[in-house]
Amino acid sequence: MKKEDTVKLISAEGFEFVVHKDAAMVSQTIRNMLTSPGGFAETEHGEVTFPEISTTILEKICKYFYWNLQFASGKQTEFHIEPELTLELMMAANYLHT
Amino acid sequence: MGGACSRKRNHRDDEDNFPRGISRRYSKSGSSKWLATSFSRPAIDIQHDKGQCPSLMDLCVRKIREDINKYSTFSMLPRDISQQIINELVYSGCLTDVSFEAFRDCALQDLYLGEYPNVNDTWMDVISSQGSSLLSLDLSGSDVTDSGLIYLKDCTNLQALNFNDCDEISDQGLEHISGLSNLTNLSFRRNGAITSHGMSAFANLFGLIKLDLERCPGIHGGLVHLQGLTKLESLNIKWCNSIADDDMKPLSGLTNLKSIQIACSKVTDSGITYMKGLHNLSLLNLEGCLVTAACLDSLSALDALLYLNLSRCHLTDEGCEKFSRFGNLKVLNLGFNDITDACLVHLRGGLTNLESLNLDSCRIGDDGLVNLTGLKHLKCLELSDTEVGSNGLRHLSGLVKLESINLSFTVVTDSGLRKLSGLSSLKSLNLDARQITDTGLAALTSLTGLTHLDLFGARITDSGTNYLRSFKNLRSLEICGGGLTDAGVKNIKDLSSLTLLNLSQNCNLTDKTLELISGLTGLVSLNVSNSRITHSGLRHLKLLKNLKSLTLEACKVTANDIRKLQLTDLPNLVSFRPE
Repeated sequence: MKKEDTVKLISAEGFEFVVHKDAAMVSQTIRNMLTSPGGFAETEHGEVTFPEISTTILEKICKYFYWNLQFASGKQTEFHIEPELTLELMMAANYLHT
Repeated sequence: MGGACSRKRNHRDDEDNFPRGISRRYSKSGSSKWLATSFSRPAIDIQHDKGQCPSLMDLCVRKIREDINKYSTFSMLPRDISQQIINELVYSGCLTDVSFEAFRDCALQDLYLGEYPNVNDTWMDVISSQGSSLLSLDLSGSDVTDSGLIYLKDCTNLQALNFNDCDEISDQGLEHISGLSNLTNLSFRRNGAITSHGMSAFANLFGLIKLDLERCPGIHGGLVHLQGLTKLESLNIKWCNSIADDDMKPLSGLTNLKSIQIACSKVTDSGITYMKGLHNLSLLNLEGCLVTAACLDSLSALDALLYLNLSRCHLTDEGCEKFSRFGNLKVLNLGFNDITDACLVHLRGGLTNLESLNLDSCRIGDDGLVNLTGLKHLKCLELSDTEVGSNGLRHLSGLVKLESINLSFTVVTDSGLRKLSGLSSLKSLNLDARQITDTGLAALTSLTGLTHLDLFGARITDSGTNYLRSFKNLRSLEICGGGLTDAGVKNIKDLSSLTLLNLSQNCNLTDKTLELISGLTGLVSLNVSNSRITHSGLRHLKLLKNLKSLTLEACKVTANDIRKLQLTDLPNLVSFRPE
């Protein structure tokens, strides 16, 4: 992965996920951060910190981003969600417009 | 985590306002009538589109629905999330009194439980716990009783309440909502127990904008309690048959009223005089009231009036000259009155803004139509069951904005139809008349914008179906005159926009017909009754996944045959005959 094609998503605990921009931009919220002309700090550094999203949830969200891209390209599989994560995941999804 | 508090509140409007979905006007069977209305939980727009990628939010909501029994409370969630969960549960029919308990104290804003099964007083405590957050509540069709309404006292910010078809609610229950001063919309349709006494509970609902008491037969004398509700804009008391002239008096000062529906009441001309000052009134429905043309004196003072329904009243030609004063009217319904061409003379000069005119079953003929030639904005003209014939149609050929004409049961013949051939805006045409044949259809091929064509009783044969190829946009088609065979259906099979197809009464149609139309995947309603269709032809319908209604009466098909097909291939089929 070229660095300029990626973005670093950082969880509440400081864990870093490096994902493709295309994938991250499945989230409307992240898309807005990365593309808004106002010069968000996120745009410049290619990093977004989510102080309210735990590592477990952020990992799940990154998996969803890639699942979403696969779905769009025709590979339509089931996306598994662990029951104990559902509520927290949902709050994060709501925040991320995903 | 915040999240945008997006709040989607589709304002559900009257079920009888204007047609939506499939046009209900063009089918004899009535089969499509309910298709347009009966499945909607329109307030909730959840889409389970198979092709589109579900959002993570959707996936989570569905996961919760599957595991709903594992959750005891959602009160820690932001309310827009719990709102989405409950919407999904209601939509999918998975909400029970037990799972509803998890929504206690969720600060929900909207609860659309209308027509939801088994809702009763035991649900009211959880509803009440939403407290001042709750803005709209639909409990129509529920078994909630008078004592259930006590719980609403805490929901002080309620703006909209719907209790249509709640048989257990009476005057006593109304008392409990009398303090909900933020109410703007209130509906108690089809309630036989509400009387004038109970309506005193409405007297202090000063914010009320819309009140709906349709089919509440006992409310005579109760409108006096509305006198102070000066914000009221819409009042529906259709089919409240006890309503009489003295009930109109309290309305005289409600000058914000824009819409009044008092159809099928005992109101006479003298009651209408109280409306003179309602200068904002734009819609007035007096269908079936005991009024005559004398009421036009009072109504002509209403400058804002756009929609006037006087069908099934006691109008005669006498006094109809006053129609010339209604220059602003857009929609006028005069159907089923004892009026003749002499009345139409008075529409000639004044009603130049008219867009819709209904003369169904009036005693008008060819000569009368000359008076319509100046109505250049006319879009919709209803002439069913009149004495209009071919000679009259020439007066319509200049009305180029016409989108809909009903000529069913008139004496119009093939030779007259070419007068319509230049009406290029036409979308729907009803020619349900026995004397219409293939020749008439041939004259109409220029009307390529047609979406609805009713040839129910017309004598159309296979060769006439060749002309149907011109109507590529047809969404509904009825040809039931008996003259079609499978060969004619070949010309129908490519009308890919069709959602409603009625080919019943053509007794020579065979299974081949079903094979031919097997690619019309947009079909929602299909009727091929009284034909030679057999059970072995049903397999051709497998691809018609949108089919909701299938009618094959008097064919060699049993209810069981259709039920099997429904189970294996047609999940959306909800109504079929034989049943």
